[in-house]
This record gives sequence, C-alpha cells and structure tokens, in this order.
Amino acid sequence: MSAAHSREGTRRLSLRLGKLVPYLYIAPALIVILLFVYWPLARTFQLSFYQGNLINPFRSYVGLGNYTEMIGSSLFGDLILQSLLYTVLALIGSVLVPVSLAFLTLALTEREIDFYQSLLFVPTVIAFNVVVLIWAFFFLPTTGGLFNTILGYFGQQPRAWMKDPLLALPGIALIANWKVMGFHFLLAIAGLRAIPREYLEAAYVDGASGWPLIRRVVLPLFAPTGLFILIITLIGALDAVFTPIRVMTEGGPNNATNNLMYAIYSEGFRFFRPGQASALSIILIILFGGLIYWQYRLFDRNVTYER
Amino acid sequence: MSVKAVTSARLARVILFIAMLLVVTPLIFQLGISFKPPDQVFTNVLSPFTTTPTLENYAMVLRTVPIVQYLWNSLTFSAGVTLGQILLALPAAFAFSYYDFRFKNFLLALVLLSLLVPFVVTYIPNYLLLAQLRLVNTVPGLILPMLGVSLGFGIFLLRQHFVSFQKDILEAAMIDGASSWQILTRVVAPANRSAIAALAVYILINTWNQFIWPLLVGGGRVESYTLTVGVQMYFTNPEGGNVWGSIMAASVLTSLPTILMYLAMRKGILRTFTEGAVKG
Repeated sequence: MSAAHSREGTRRLSLRLGKLVPYLYIAPALIVILLFVYWPLARTFQLSFYQGNLINPFRSYVGLGNYTEMIGSSLFGDLILQSLLYTVLALIGSVLVPVSLAFLTLALTEREIDFYQSLLFVPTVIAFNVVVLIWAFFFLPTTGGLFNTILGYFGQQPRAWMKDPLLALPGIALIANWKVMGFHFLLAIAGLRAIPREYLEAAYVDGASGWPLIRRVVLPLFAPTGLFILIITLIGALDAVFTPIRVMTEGGPNNATNNLMYAIYSEGFRFFRPGQASALSIILIILFGGLIYWQYRLFDRNVTYER
Repeated sequence: MSVKAVTSARLARVILFIAMLLVVTPLIFQLGISFKPPDQVFTNVLSPFTTTPTLENYAMVLRTVPIVQYLWNSLTFSAGVTLGQILLALPAAFAFSYYDFRFKNFLLALVLLSLLVPFVVTYIPNYLLLAQLRLVNTVPGLILPMLGVSLGFGIFLLRQHFVSFQKDILEAAMIDGASSWQILTRVVAPANRSAIAALAVYILINTWNQFIWPLLVGGGRVESYTLTVGVQMYFTNPEGGNVWGSIMAASVLTSLPTILMYLAMRKGILRTFTEGAVKG
C-alpha cells in the first residue's frame, strides 16, 4: 500500500466519521495522563518554592531557597557525578553487553537463538525487589555469603560488599543490569532480524567476513535499533537502579550509591522535605531536558505521521 | 539468520553459554534454597541443591504471612491497572491511527512526552492527591495514578500495530454502514488481538512487579500490602534466626505467577515487542 493511497484512505475515513469523534476517543486517556502525570508535574514545580512536610507541604514560601540550598549543598556535585558514573556502568551493562551478545547469535541457529532469548528474558518478568533479595544472599557480608565463600576458597577475608564505598556501586550496578539486560538483548536480536539476509550474504560473497563484515555491514544497518537501546538506557538508567539502592544501601555507604533520582526519594520520603525533593525533581527534569528532546526527535522521526 | 561466517561460531557459543549461566545461576539458587532445610543454607553455600529437599520453608511462609491477602491485593492492583490502561489506550490509539484532526501531532506529543517524566518526580503530588481523596493504603489508591503513568507506552505500541493495518478493510466496513465504534470493537480490536493481549500481559507483569509505589501508598497497612511489599517486609523484619529459606520461598511464590504468564505467552510477547520497537 503506497503512502499516498494510505493518506487518501485516512482522509476519506475522517470525512465520514465526523469532526468531534477523534477527540472523544482520546479524551479519557488524555484526561488520565493530564491528571496523574502533568498536573503532578505542575504541582512539583509549585512545591519547589515552598518548605514544609508531607502533611503541610506549603507551610512557608521560600522562593528559590530550595534550589540554592540543594545546588549549594556539598552533596550536589557528588549526586551529579554519581549519576553520570552509574550511567556509564549502565551503558556497559545494558548496551554494550546485550548488544555484543546479540551479535554473537548471528553465528547460531534459530532454535539456539530462541533458547537464549527466552532464558535471558526471565529476569525481566521478576519483581525488582525480589531480584535484589536473591542477590542479597550472594552479597551477604558474613563469611556464609556466597561471594565471601568463594573469596574464602582463595584465602581472602570476607568483605562487607554493600558497606564498602568502592564495592557498593559496582555491586548495585551488577544487580540492576542483570535484571535489564535480557530485555535489551531481545530488542537487539529483533534489530538484527530486521536486517535483510541478502545484504549479509552479498557482503560475504564479496569476501567480507568476521569483524569487517560486522563493522561495515551489520553495524550501520543495526544503528537505529542500537540508538533506541542507547536512549532507553540513558533515560532509564537511574530508574533501573532505584530499587536496588532503596533495598540494599539507601544511597550509602557515605552516599557512594546515591544519585539524583534516589536523592529525590530520600528528601521526600525519608527526610520528609517535599520542597527540597521537588526542587531536585525540577533540576533533574531540566538536566534530562536535552535527553528528552533527543528522544522526542527520535520518536518524531520514526513514527509515521499521517498528515 | 545463521550466517556462519560472521563470527567464529564455536567461540560465540561458548560466550553465550557462559552469559546464560551467569543469568540463570541466581535463579537456580533462589529455587534451590527455597527447598533446602533451614539448617543447610550455610553448610554448603556453593551448592543450591540438597539431598533432603523440604517444603518446610513454603509451609513457614504460608503460616506466618497473610499471603492470600497479599495475593488478592496484587491481583486486583494488576488487573485494575491492566484493564484500565487497555480500555483507555485502545480508543486513543484508534483515533491517533485513523483520524486527521486539529492538534493531532501536539496531542500525540503530549502523550509520548508523558513517558519521559520519571515516576519519582510525581510521587509526592500523587501521594498528596491520594491523601486528599482518603485513598492512601487502599488498592484503588494504588491503581489510579498508575493508570496514567505508562499509558503513553500502550497508546504508542497499539498505534504502531494499527497504522500498518489495511485501511481497505476499514473502508469496506464503513461502506457496509458500520459506525466508528463498531469498526474499533468488531474489526480493529479483533484483528490486533495478539498485540493487545501481549500489551495486557506486559502491563500486568509490570504492575505486579511494582514495589516502590505500592510501598509508599500501600505500605502503611498490612491489609494493603502487595506481594512484593509483603516479601520485602519479611526480609527487613526477619523473626530472628535463619530466614533465607523462607525469604527464597516467598520470593518464588511472588515470581511464580509472572513467570508462568511469561512462559504461556512467551512467543507472543517476544514478537509483539520486537515488532513494536523495530518497526518504530
């Protein structure tokens, strides 16, 4: 079906179906989104100019006080740095690893791909806090913990993994990426499947193989999927690591696993300072702004609007 | 897709197999420890298996935790969010796919951009709203804000499937005098039932697995705990002694429904998501 035909079809449909109808179909969804996403977002903006508690969040107007307090605090630089640091770990664990593994499946049969795809996807359907509980056994600080038992075989002292500022973040990252990886692996395989086989075979006949074939033929054709995985990782990274932090470290030790998104939660629901939490929220939104705009452009390009 | 020349097949198999082992190992320990007698958990740590498997841990969980209540809460919470989101997303995706109207692109952008607002940013206002409505620590309170939070994804995914649907069939239905509502419910929805089912399962699993939100809104009262919150409380308030067996048993019970659902719908889920993402 040609694009022109399709556009024509849409126009004719529209003429017959009346002018108000589409709005009626959209209204319920839109109202729910406005009420539970955009209205709260506006309230967060408003809250960021007040100080108070969860019972009376609008107790006193402080202008930009929350913003200057948050940005001026000694913690702020660390929060930004640690958010970036974790994002780098997520780029390795949720982009590089699953995409590389997906590329390796090019050498496999359909049945094998199906097998790996299905098994690696299992962590995706398990609750995040349950995932953390399972891993907590591995990371137990006592001699009986699984990792410490392994260390014991090598004559090493047991470690308090999640209480060690150097080990806590990699540990948390391992848990979060273990959970997310399978989904990205699935997306990467789908992207590879979308590449016409003939291209690969033609390149192979022309003498390309191994890494040059990957780099010159597969990677460029894979780029849209790769970009998609990259962006959902950038946007979802701090969200994905949220539950492991909440359950295992609460941002510690000494803020080693804290980041911007978790700090919002801490300010709001551990320290009961909704104003400060809201100011951090707005800062997070602004910092994500560029990223969000980029994502929007990606949707814009990939979604075929019928005008 | 087996283009044998692309990589050294044997090396690829070895690496993938190791990766698979690393992913599966924690799950084997989860299952294994749940069947270990409590006194064996730390005697042979590196082996998840035991020669004397027991159901003691499961009995312990069922005895000490009101698991039926949690199960019911998780079920009504997930079912409510799933049903609500599907009912909201279907007509919206339908209109965005087949109609031309003013502000269409703006409204679609509004829907898609809502996905990019982190849930954590709206926690406090949503919590305050629920407090005003006296819905804190109730299942309806859990459901309501969740209806809006990932709704944009459902609309986007369904629209991806709808736009590739043959418009000739819709026109034929219209010529036969079908109303737009009939076209949606009798033609478009049935024709896309596998995508709708996969989306429903995805929302169901995703909601079932929510933890922070049910902890905030439902964590104040045992009667409104979901399974995920219940299991967590078990972990943070262990009644002394060696609780790993019961923790793992409780976590298996919590994971079982979603894993079974995934296994039953595996092909459909994997296909719908890969198509939805790549067609994009």
